Amino acid sequence: MRADKKTKALAKQLFKLSVVNGAVSPEQVAGVLGYIEKVAPRNSLGLLKLYRSAIVTELAKSHARVEHAGPLSDSALSLIASAMTKKYARPVSATAQANPKLLAGLRVRIGSDVYESTVSGQLTTLSNAV
Amino acid sequence: MSTVVAQIEQQIAKLSSKAVKKNTGTIRAVADGVAKLDGLSDVMYNEMVQFPGGAIGIALNLEADEVGCVVLGDVSQLKEGDEVQTTGKLLSVPVGKALLGRVVDALGRPVDGKGPIDSKEFYPVEKIAPGIMVRKSVNQPLFTGIMAIDSMIPIGRGQRELIIGDRGTGKTTICIDTIINQARINKVGLASGDKGFRPVYSIYVAVGQKQSNVVRTINALEAAGALEYTVIVSAPAADNPANQYLAPFSGAAIGEWFMENGMDALIVYDDLSKHAVAYRQISLILKRPSGREAYPGDVFYLHSRLLERAARLDGKGSLTALPVIETQAGDVSAYIPTNVISITDGQIFLETDLFNQGIRPAVSVGLSVSRVGSSAQIKVTKQVGGKLKGELAQFRELAAFAQFGSDLDPKTKAQLDRGARIVELFKQPQLNPLAIEMQAAILWALQKNYFDSIDVKGIVTAANSWKDYLTSRKDALLTSIRTEAKLSDAIEAGLKAAADEWKGTFSK
Repeated sequence: MRADKKTKALAKQLFKLSVVNGAVSPEQVAGVLGYIEKVAPRNSLGLLKLYRSAIVTELAKSHARVEHAGPLSDSALSLIASAMTKKYARPVSATAQANPKLLAGLRVRIGSDVYESTVSGQLTTLSNAV
Repeated sequence: MSTVVAQIEQQIAKLSSKAVKKNTGTIRAVADGVAKLDGLSDVMYNEMVQFPGGAIGIALNLEADEVGCVVLGDVSQLKEGDEVQTTGKLLSVPVGKALLGRVVDALGRPVDGKGPIDSKEFYPVEKIAPGIMVRKSVNQPLFTGIMAIDSMIPIGRGQRELIIGDRGTGKTTICIDTIINQARINKVGLASGDKGFRPVYSIYVAVGQKQSNVVRTINALEAAGALEYTVIVSAPAADNPANQYLAPFSGAAIGEWFMENGMDALIVYDDLSKHAVAYRQISLILKRPSGREAYPGDVFYLHSRLLERAARLDGKGSLTALPVIETQAGDVSAYIPTNVISITDGQIFLETDLFNQGIRPAVSVGLSVSRVGSSAQIKVTKQVGGKLKGELAQFRELAAFAQFGSDLDPKTKAQLDRGARIVELFKQPQLNPLAIEMQAAILWALQKNYFDSIDVKGIVTAANSWKDYLTSRKDALLTSIRTEAKLSDAIEAGLKAAADEWKGTFSK
């Protein structure tokens, strides 16, 4: 079912309540979920989907997913996290994920931004340029 | 050897280990050529978006939680969850003289099978129209080669003149004739070696037309030798609505290159009714609010921003626009026709009744107007055709009484006879534009009553005979009319002598 204007507005309001000092607060989220369960507003399913989507997007902005081919030390990971924290002016955590398809290098995804320095990416650029 | 190594090193330098930042998103839904995307937090309005598989899209709706994007290419390969990325570039098309003689699609890619286009420059498809200060008033003529238009509804370089009429009334024919006439003038002018001569390059934008019609147009231009001065932008009916929406803007970008580089260009939008329909389709799919006749609220802005790009620039060139609008049952008060009438600097209205009576081009003199007026006419045309519109208007007024011919006073009868002769004289076969000096000679003969003694039915034959006579025997006279652009005493004496001689041979 397509969400109506009221549901969208309510989801937006609940999302705003869930963010404290620029970060998603787990306590506030629990409170919002409790409210939805108790009050059971119209189109709860649609509301929860919109709310989830907004929270996921917000969380992605504070989390750097680091894909790597080859070993990646913890110190390098924490360096990436601190660099991203400085760049985006918000606390950013980082998790590593091995991806052999990259051949060599790193790909850092944070929100909708992707920072890429991989051999596979450069080969793709080269093949597109030829 | 060292050059080769340097080239490789340059390529390696490009592939440095520096991280590249990309802004990405994912496809949430794809339907009817429109994709809804998540992410793309940095995307700009009208920015090109890269889809997997090489397809390109344009971001048209930037909303709080999603981006609406029209896909210019094959959507069948796209699926939910696919990654898309911004390009940081606004949609651009190749421009320049390399496009002359070529047929391209809405993105400027060749579709004529003549190989790639060697174009080094690109212009953005959407561009703000030139402002007030850089413009210059329109006072240089652009000859269509159609006598009824050049003498009564003159078009100037940089003007926007609407061509409006029902289906099958000859709208495209007028545009093609005009393009052919520009090519003829270009050939004569360039051959003359005149350094001050400014050729006019043409751009024909086919929107939502049948492929067979586009092919016919290309063949007509090729046969007339006009294709080498023309660029054809084709977004036929089989193309997706996004391409049909973009094609006129791409054509305008191609024309702007000529204008910005001190050259003159003519652009034909054939037609903007279908363009509005394509835009309506996209807008409805993007769920934009609809207004009158289900067109979106910005359909006026769609056409005004397109047509405002036609201009004459101070110290540079000009872009003249001939937009075409198809009416339904002659209704000029419909939404899109009234919009475009109010934007343009005049209109040429073609009537079905006139067309069916055999008056072709079926220009309705009463409803057609050029707001630039006689400032875009050369002196010779003013001298020989200044009174024509008034005479024809009087004729139309009196025509209702024509059936009571026997009861009319001699003055009224004379006016009717003259009007009937003017109407006959303005009949012109298609793909046969007349040079301005020939038009002047014919209208001079009319003005000096050389056709008065000829039966109305024989006027066309007489005019053809006069043309043949001038072409075969008085070429120097025609050249002097063209170069002097006014009726001097010497030219008038030459015309009189020629007309007297011709009249003698024609009567015999």
